[in-house]
Amino acid sequence: MPLPEAITRLSEALGRLPGIGPRSAERLALHLAQSDADGVRQLAQAIVQARERISACKICGALTEGDTCAICADPRRDGAILCVVERPLDVFALEKAGSFRGRYHVLGGKISPLNGVEPEDLRIAELESRLAGVQEVIVALSTDVEGDATSFYLGKRLAGKGPKISRIAHGLPAGAGLEFADEVTLSLALEGRRELAP
Amino acid sequence: MHLAALRLRDFRNYARLDAEFKPGFHLLLGDNAQGKTNILEAIYLLATLRSFRGVGGAQMVRHGQKGYFVGAGMLARAAHEIKIYWSPLERKLSLDGQPVRLLGDYLGTLRAVVFCTEDLQLVKGTGRLRRRFMDLLLTQTHAGYLPLLQRYAAALRSRNALLKLPASDPRALEGFTRQLVEAGVELMRLRRDLWPRVAPLAREAGARLAGPGETLELVYQPSVRADFAVELARNRAREQVFRSTLLGPHRDDVQLLLDGKPAAKFASEGQKRSIAIALKLAQAEYLSSIHGAPPILLIDDIMGELDARRRAGFLPLLDRARAASSQVFMTCTEENWPRELGRDLQRWEVKSGALRPL
Repeated sequence: MPLPEAITRLSEALGRLPGIGPRSAERLALHLAQSDADGVRQLAQAIVQARERISACKICGALTEGDTCAICADPRRDGAILCVVERPLDVFALEKAGSFRGRYHVLGGKISPLNGVEPEDLRIAELESRLAGVQEVIVALSTDVEGDATSFYLGKRLAGKGPKISRIAHGLPAGAGLEFADEVTLSLALEGRRELAP
Repeated sequence: MHLAALRLRDFRNYARLDAEFKPGFHLLLGDNAQGKTNILEAIYLLATLRSFRGVGGAQMVRHGQKGYFVGAGMLARAAHEIKIYWSPLERKLSLDGQPVRLLGDYLGTLRAVVFCTEDLQLVKGTGRLRRRFMDLLLTQTHAGYLPLLQRYAAALRSRNALLKLPASDPRALEGFTRQLVEAGVELMRLRRDLWPRVAPLAREAGARLAGPGETLELVYQPSVRADFAVELARNRAREQVFRSTLLGPHRDDVQLLLDGKPAAKFASEGQKRSIAIALKLAQAEYLSSIHGAPPILLIDDIMGELDARRRAGFLPLLDRARAASSQVFMTCTEENWPRELGRDLQRWEVKSGALRPL
């Protein structure tokens, strides 16, 4: 017997979520369809509310419930250092590390000619309009071809506009031995070496 | 290293095959169109994830079925289990029960060299085939080569897409050009280092096959003469016309010279065939020298076409494979199998998609 249409529809919608394959989607749909109705209603409301309340911060582009995000509104954060990242998620990753005290700027992607993403599709003009009073821009993009090309592009475009432009180092994961690093990581780690204090 | 078990489901003309193989020499006998070559194709697929017949996944699915499965048990220093499933909607590759995320981690689990009639195109065909030969050889011997090649290909695709736009920011093009040059320079370095090690092996194999007096030379011909970045910049105007990247490792070639003359033009058909086999012998010997053990040799129906001298040129490699308890799989029709290969052959009959020990 085929599954009822409502369940197939739900399972198709769930299957479009990241990390959920057709089988998990079907299992979730069957589970939801047989769960307590109140619980399901609350879940649906939570989803709608999250979508309606969350928007992009007007300043940095990170996710927020208001107009500006908590980091942009926090006077204790150092406005002289801007960290440029690809996606809002990257802000959370860096915040978890807890060692960065500056502010962020979310580009909203990287230059990707194969997907039709050109520099003007990214929030680069917004970044330029934030440079007054900024002393350093730290570029923290991914290290694939598109990420590296975008980093290079930012370096060129922001050059001579005041702040120093740097990019985060790539190298060995903390606590790992050399024998576990792949060759690309090792050669990047060698390139990014620093002098030991005498 | 040897293939201990092979399982096929809906692969080519095999609805279902479960076979176990010992190390040594396996002769697959049978009439034409019974599925002898399909077994070699499956083993080659396990090694390289490609067909040596130059076809995609769809052609390897048994007629009327959804997808194919190829599974293998390997015995090297440790035992490994490989599973490949392919359908138009789904591709799965697992090693020892874990899905494979990086191809570089997988390739090398099983190393194989195939000898087939298509090899003739290495001599007669375009540079693309010789580049693929070179890339496969480096992928099989150098752990960092495949990620580098993939990075170069990604930079090239992006750069070509930018060149095709009516107008684009020159700084963005420069960004991708830098990625292209960085990966490209490293690729060319690895390719340049490869040939001095492979060329002598090919020359010796060529001499064994053709007899003394004919000298085979392999010359790496990079499309970049000296400085990739400078030459790209010089070609910018031409690139704007063609809207594509006109030089770089993706345009490299390897020139095959017989007694100093380009083999594609000047060699006879028989000489071309010898050169193709010499290249494959050199591949097998180079892999043996790097890894300390010979690869699995897959020989598709070519022995029957060779004269006694060329067959004899093959024997040292086969003897070495035997001595090292490696494996050789060879397809033949009953009337032309090379009897000089000796006694300790394991003979199999291949008949309409089934395999039976003889």
